[in-house]
Amino acid sequence: MMTAMPAIPLSVGANRIVRGVRVPHVCGDPALSEDRDRELSERIVRTALGALATRVTEPTLFEPSQSAPQAVTA
Amino acid sequence: MTNPIRVVHYLNQFFGGIGAEEQAYAPVQLKDGAVGPGRALQAALGDEGTVVGTIVSGDNYFTEETESAKAAAGELLDRLKPDVVIAGPAFDAGRYGLACAEVCRLAQDRGVTAVTGMFADNAGVLTYRSEILAVSTGIDASEMAPSLQKMARLAIKVLNGEELGPASVEGYVPRGARRPVAHGQLGYERALDMLTARIAGKPYESEMLISNYDIVPPAAPISDADDSLIALVSSGGLVPRGNPDRLVGARSEHFYRYPLDGVDSLSVEDWESVHGGFGTLILNTKDPNYAMPLRTVRSLETRGAIKSVYPTFFSTTGNGTAVSSARRMGGEIAAELSENHVDGVLLVAT
Repeated sequence: MMTAMPAIPLSVGANRIVRGVRVPHVCGDPALSEDRDRELSERIVRTALGALATRVTEPTLFEPSQSAPQAVTA
Repeated sequence: MTNPIRVVHYLNQFFGGIGAEEQAYAPVQLKDGAVGPGRALQAALGDEGTVVGTIVSGDNYFTEETESAKAAAGELLDRLKPDVVIAGPAFDAGRYGLACAEVCRLAQDRGVTAVTGMFADNAGVLTYRSEILAVSTGIDASEMAPSLQKMARLAIKVLNGEELGPASVEGYVPRGARRPVAHGQLGYERALDMLTARIAGKPYESEMLISNYDIVPPAAPISDADDSLIALVSSGGLVPRGNPDRLVGARSEHFYRYPLDGVDSLSVEDWESVHGGFGTLILNTKDPNYAMPLRTVRSLETRGAIKSVYPTFFSTTGNGTAVSSARRMGGEIAAELSENHVDGVLLVAT
């Protein structure tokens, strides 16, 4: 679940949640240059793929960041 | 003593004793008297009613050849002239529930009282909620006898012209009708009573019911991302320009499938978002990939981060979607993905 509003899926019970940028543009940022936007998109999608490959036991929020995707539990 | 009422029972191929899934295309047929669970129905009716016949049909037959099935079932009803039709109960079986609902409608068109029974989220309810009277059941056929009891009681009540109380009291699935009633207390008094009970930790009953969400255990992690088949789903309202399938901007009950073969990115020329719950300007004038990052996923696919992308994209609008619709759509999508050995899903919401 990739969303700009992780509080909702965390409380509803989606198990793997990745924080997106903003509701109108979840998987990137049009305010960035094209290169940085693509990098950001890749970071978000890689975080999502990483989440799919991570064992979780409860709704867990994954934050895209410069380093490896970080897991934060509800 | 008045004559026992004539009852016709509708059952699917399994409960009607014809066979299991391999008989799902069995045409509409009539069996004499009560069959299978019909015996529990007869017991519930006692001296008040007689199950004069059981109409049996395969679930696929009824839901795929609906017009023929309805014609055949209608003819049987005309011949049998029942006072009451009891259909099912179908519990959680969607095709069966749909068939039961159709049979009830056929009966009602002929002025015959009809009652069915099914789980509140059954496709039969979702499709015909306001048109059928369905006893609310669980999903387990072990509840067969008590469900038939309730269905028989309700049918007799309706046949006798008694007014039904609210769904929660009488045990049927809410039909979406609201009736003004006069309470003993004014609204604010009832609200204060609820509040004081809640603060004191005492039980209280809400007058408006909010859906509960299921707790779903997390799926096991993908063991090898490089070797994975990933599917893409979005609730951002993405559709091909022109919205050929007429996806709605809110309260969607449908999702649509769009082919991704040979598509490496979502272009502004070819795609748009019809989501009515947020500003779609950026998606529609700059880049639809923000709501479904196909370009990025394809790029990762080329570089071996995943093995491949499932060739169908699933799209709906996530805006005021009914929980039961979302649950059903999710279930249908998940069933297809599971059948096709998809390893993981990227679901972009808002």
